[in-house]
Amino acid sequence: MRAAIEAFDTGANVGVVSKLHPTRSHSGAAEGGINAALGNAAEDSPEKHAFDTVKGSDYLGDQDAIEILASEAPGDIYQLEHWGCVFSRSDEGTLAQRPFGAAGSPRTVYSADITGHVLIHVLYEQLMKRQEQGPFEVYEEYFAWRLVIEDGRCVGVICWDLVRGGLKLVTGKSIVLATGGMGRIYRATTNAYACNGDGMAMALHAGLPLKDMEFMQFHPTTLFPSGVLITEGCRGEGGFLINRDGERFMARYAPNALELASRDVVSRSETTEIEAGRGLNGSVLLDLRHLGPERILTRLPGSRELAMTFAGVDPIYDPIPVRPGAHYHMGGVATDNWGATEVDGLYAAGEVACVSVHGANRLGGNSLMETITFGRRAGQAAAEAAQVSRNGGPVSEAPLADAERDLRTLLDRSEGERPWKIRDELGGSMLENFGVFRYPDRMERQLDVIQGLRERYQHVVVEDKGDIFNSDLTQALELESMLDLAWVMVQAGLAREESRGAHSRPSDFPERDDERFLRHSITRWEEDAPVLSTEEVRMTTYQPEVRSY
Amino acid sequence: MQVALKIWRYDAVKGERALREYEVDAPEEATLLDCLDIVKDRLDGSLAYRKSCRMMICGSCGMRMDGAAVLACKVRMYEIAQAGQVPVISAMGNLPIVKDLVVDMQPFWGKIRAVQPWLEPGLSDPGETEHVVSQERMDVIHKESLCIMCGCCVSECNSMEADPEFLGPAALAKGMRFVGDPRDQATVERLQSYSEEHGIWDCTRCYFCNERCPKGVDPRDAIAKLGAEAVKEGIDSDMGAKHAKWFVTSAKTTGWLRETELVPKTQGIAKSLKEVTFAMGLLKHGKVPPPFPPHVAKHVGEARALYDLVHEQDRDGAAGIAQSEKALGHLEHADDGGEAAARGPYGDGSFAKPFLPGEEPTV
Repeated sequence: MRAAIEAFDTGANVGVVSKLHPTRSHSGAAEGGINAALGNAAEDSPEKHAFDTVKGSDYLGDQDAIEILASEAPGDIYQLEHWGCVFSRSDEGTLAQRPFGAAGSPRTVYSADITGHVLIHVLYEQLMKRQEQGPFEVYEEYFAWRLVIEDGRCVGVICWDLVRGGLKLVTGKSIVLATGGMGRIYRATTNAYACNGDGMAMALHAGLPLKDMEFMQFHPTTLFPSGVLITEGCRGEGGFLINRDGERFMARYAPNALELASRDVVSRSETTEIEAGRGLNGSVLLDLRHLGPERILTRLPGSRELAMTFAGVDPIYDPIPVRPGAHYHMGGVATDNWGATEVDGLYAAGEVACVSVHGANRLGGNSLMETITFGRRAGQAAAEAAQVSRNGGPVSEAPLADAERDLRTLLDRSEGERPWKIRDELGGSMLENFGVFRYPDRMERQLDVIQGLRERYQHVVVEDKGDIFNSDLTQALELESMLDLAWVMVQAGLAREESRGAHSRPSDFPERDDERFLRHSITRWEEDAPVLSTEEVRMTTYQPEVRSY
Repeated sequence: MQVALKIWRYDAVKGERALREYEVDAPEEATLLDCLDIVKDRLDGSLAYRKSCRMMICGSCGMRMDGAAVLACKVRMYEIAQAGQVPVISAMGNLPIVKDLVVDMQPFWGKIRAVQPWLEPGLSDPGETEHVVSQERMDVIHKESLCIMCGCCVSECNSMEADPEFLGPAALAKGMRFVGDPRDQATVERLQSYSEEHGIWDCTRCYFCNERCPKGVDPRDAIAKLGAEAVKEGIDSDMGAKHAKWFVTSAKTTGWLRETELVPKTQGIAKSLKEVTFAMGLLKHGKVPPPFPPHVAKHVGEARALYDLVHEQDRDGAAGIAQSEKALGHLEHADDGGEAAARGPYGDGSFAKPFLPGEEPTV
């Protein structure tokens, strides 16, 4: 939505294609906040923000992109506030800022613990305002399935109209992918059912490179057993992580930052505790009791509601059972600092993209900021390019006909397996074999598992044959994307013979290896298989150092 | 656990409805949404419903359970299954059904759009920094900004059932989100527009929206706040506003509601004359007290003192609207009297107090 708004304001005729109503997108579930060096709560600067982000990325982030994020973030936050965003306030009435993991200063602007919610609604408000001025079309519940590339230019998207049925070709002079992540590849995830990596798969299959796909962030505090997110803001407000004995175990892993170490560090520490038998039902505990009712109720009411509803625990009186869960994909469609991909007319922003500002590990509060800052940049660049684009003429019917044929093949099949078991086995095996810690034998095994599942997918049956709201069909299409992306991830993970950020190989390559691997991994899809290469990391100011918290 | 559900299926192509029963084996922590997923995966892939976040924030999975709107992801099935109940699941009310549990939300969004739901910047432009506004002033719209647009309130709205053009609880709560925002400059225009027919005063105050809202937005309270703000701004030509004002005047002067005067005060003299025969009938049967002499309550002083007190406190407009008990409980954390609350965070049976490695654990 941020890209669409900017494209509109730059003078473009804009259409938004979304498989959900826009306010249902998973950005709305972000809780803790959004990082910008405003310096409202303590001295801060974009340079500090950039350094924390570079260090957090385990030096794999592209530093020019990180500097853009850090320096443009404050202006973007002020704009959101001017648009009416309901942020929490300090005692002075300025925007309140709270501490977050691995941040050198309280930098996270927030709205209690529903920051994503207030952001997504203010963006939709601004979208509706522009719709009054038009033309600004929203194709709601259109499932984007394939990109149409003609003569090396992206000219359109083939979509399935979920409500009415039928494949529709939506064309444009510029197209911006903003389809989010793919946490659903894992059984334990904070992500919504909608997060299946659709955009990454579309780009991959259209021949574009995906970058750093081995880096899946595991969030340290996902609620047991449901997997929903309990915000890092709980620790930002002073919450403790404890094991079954009540010990604040983070002191043994990150003696300075404790609970506010970076997410990869905390997730590994928790997993070590749980595997050493110091967990409780495969979880550790997030203890907020000492914060007291008032602070919990004013700053963390949403987390309390989630804990009460899904775990039957009131955090005022009892610690919350939490464990690491798949949360955010650092990798994605490779773009430049304006969101442009290597294909003319195609842009990407947000979690689907890899600029890369997060490198091997993202800091809490940086993803919402990335969606805003790089969403704005991609929208502007896409609109400007559209004004001089050669696109816009008639588009060949062939890709749509191919898509119709493939869809028919899937729908006409009446004997075979239903997709859910393949989906569940994918999620379970990815968690077991490509989770917080990665071992060579398990990764090899996972490649076999994925091949087996891909083979079975060739025979899946979609039970619903109708046109109207056929989510049985779209869920099957999503599964196909996830199977290919899982392959890409594990392949890239095997090739990265080091431990960096969220990619940790304790048994064979426990150290970071800047000599060989201070490089992005690049995956392309060639002849129905992933092909790997690497690319340089763009460095400006910061040289790699030993990373500790 | 075994969970049984009855689901109202709707086939839009054939226009047929059918109540189907399903039984699934689900984990004890399963929600209604989890159970629907199991039905769809294993029993009937054609079942249609919306879902996404499964954590009560995206607003996709509004539907009805035993006739009352719920978010499917919020309803835990354990107790229902243990009690042997077989809930009936159906699509939300007041919106056209697309298929099974999926409704067409376009009419819903049309009404949201009708309240011009975007900030009209009013405070002086702060330039390259934020507006300085106290948390206290922003708290006025705290509940309204929690709205996730799920449509549960609209589904249950009795006024909308009678008047499909009624703006409805979600849109009016969204309106209050801007009226109460000190940064918005269109307050008067908004209140005028929301006070028109199908607006604020067409709410019947059945409180179903407050009751069924899964997020504690309390749309009825928002509508009451809009009404109070409108009257404060002198936007009171609607009969609803006049009606409300007469309650105040009447209570202040005699301590009673003078019903015979209520009709002319609300509808005007001309319209009231048409009701004279009806009124005489009521009078004859003792349904209304005779208007003369005006009956003054024995303790009218108390009513007047209360009126003065509210004025002294400067609680006019939205600030004068008392929040419902449920809302206050939500905000102020009323203990539910449960076991955990009784023992406290560190009482007998609580989890151990945290300690740092090397420290002695305290129990």
